[in-house]
Amino acid sequence: MEKINVVIGVIGADVHAVGNRIIDYAFSQAGFNVINLGVMVSQKEFLDAAIETNAKAIIISSLYGHGELDCRGMGDMLKEAGLDDVLLYIGGNLVVGKSDFTEVEKLFISMGFDRVYPPGADINQGIEDLKNDLKDKGIYA
Amino acid sequence: MPNFCLFDVGSTYTKGCIVNTDQEIILAQASDFTTSSTDISIGIEKVKQKMFKDITIHIDKTLVCSSAKGGLKMIAIGLVPDLTLKAAQLACYSAGAKVIKSYSFELNQKELDEIENSNCDILLLSGGTDGGNTSSVRHNTNQLIKLKSRFPIIYAGNKSCQDEIRIQLEQHNFECILCDNVMPSYGILEVDDCKNKIRELFLNSIVKAKGLSQLNDVIDEIVLPTPLSVFEALKLLSKGSKNEPGIGDLIAIDIGGATTDVYSMNTKLVINEEFGYKGLQEPLEKRSVEGDLGLRFSAPHVYELNVDLHSTEFDMYINEIKNNPHLKSNIELDTQLASTCVDLATQRHVGRLETSYTPMGISYYQTGKDCRNVKQCIGIGGPIIYNPNARSILSQCLTKPNQKDVLLPIECEFYLDQDYLISCLGLLSKQYPDVVIRILKKKLEKLNHV
Repeated sequence: MEKINVVIGVIGADVHAVGNRIIDYAFSQAGFNVINLGVMVSQKEFLDAAIETNAKAIIISSLYGHGELDCRGMGDMLKEAGLDDVLLYIGGNLVVGKSDFTEVEKLFISMGFDRVYPPGADINQGIEDLKNDLKDKGIYA
Repeated sequence: MPNFCLFDVGSTYTKGCIVNTDQEIILAQASDFTTSSTDISIGIEKVKQKMFKDITIHIDKTLVCSSAKGGLKMIAIGLVPDLTLKAAQLACYSAGAKVIKSYSFELNQKELDEIENSNCDILLLSGGTDGGNTSSVRHNTNQLIKLKSRFPIIYAGNKSCQDEIRIQLEQHNFECILCDNVMPSYGILEVDDCKNKIRELFLNSIVKAKGLSQLNDVIDEIVLPTPLSVFEALKLLSKGSKNEPGIGDLIAIDIGGATTDVYSMNTKLVINEEFGYKGLQEPLEKRSVEGDLGLRFSAPHVYELNVDLHSTEFDMYINEIKNNPHLKSNIELDTQLASTCVDLATQRHVGRLETSYTPMGISYYQTGKDCRNVKQCIGIGGPIIYNPNARSILSQCLTKPNQKDVLLPIECEFYLDQDYLISCLGLLSKQYPDVVIRILKKKLEKLNHV
């Protein structure tokens, strides 16, 4: 069976590459085919890559605190592009300062994200979640 | 001693030359106004007469490159405009074709009607990375089989569904040729296989379909579409062969009546490794065609684009061109139009350096090709080589002070293909690469500061 494609990248004007490489490594090891767009990725690049590669998930990271601005409208863009079925994950330091994470999570869920991870989240949790979410969609056996 | 008679047919002038590949010399060279668009052999005969006026030699082989009957007309179909569609277009251009229509995402009825009436020679169907999207190429195949017209289809999309697509197209009497995906994975461009398949099709069926094979009485073989012949010659001149070094990175510009072609040959895509690269990786050897920039059919549009030119005198000239595309050239005004063509065509050809202001400071990333280190620029084609201001026209390809983000050459030496040799010699690029390089090195005329 062909590997499942997932698109990853660091959104906006963020140049933090370390977490991006960890995600690339971990998800590849877990059996996914990772399309890594690197740092400073725009919403359009995420969408274009997901369309061409028929990706089942987009995993966004953001560390510099402007994640909310960068991700505004992303959920709607996905629907417009006919990618409603694509899982949308985000993780990192999503807002400036020490906000209550449950508030942050609520905010991003309302913006169309399926899963939101706080700073220092365990990467294996993300992999487990993705496998389960894909299973729920009948994609991952 | 092999003597080759080489012709470039199909444009305003029929050009010819006789090359001796042992002595590596041009024995004769001539060109003539193409009087009849229907019978190309008349043009060839006239040029032959001119060339053989002063010499009598035995010709071993006569080869022709052709852009006759509208050149090699292709339609490119991809999925996302900036990705597989762009890859498909680049593949067509590098094979010397003219892209008459491009479509992204799923074809609708209106687009299907356009294809039906387009009279295209080959359609290139792509979409999806290998293992990626299959729904778009499946949908588009289901649409294409509704057509009444027939033309060869090259499939260069997601490999996962290539067999079913070939079977489906063949069941509906389309000739379908499979080739490697033009974008096998995200951002990676693979045009070589596609380019070869287009060339084979051109040789095996397009030449016949265009009624050009009747030329076989006067010539031995139509080998290449003209732009591909130019492409191959320039590539050799830049990169060199096993025995003969090339001249390095170059850019070449060919302005015609309707289009402006730009060729660039580079050794590296990203010169400054500190810059990240975004989007589709462009080819090191690239050809682009600007269908809206040219000196006759496209002149009104060029004039419209450059408001600095606007004057009453120029208005009148443009009106005269509209009424009579064969109008005698007004050197001064044509120089200005040609300069605009070079300026815009090269700007569109090269990449950009995008600046991003991040909390960590300024960050740069590159899209498209970086041609700043290109040191040589070659002018091809009548409108440039007959213009006394050729150097100033070509110099428009250089970076302008207010456009540092456009990755154009910074400084160049300028050369002219004043004897129309590039397109003809490209015909020998496979068989006699060393000879082609050495003759071009000798024969290209360097333009000095006036």
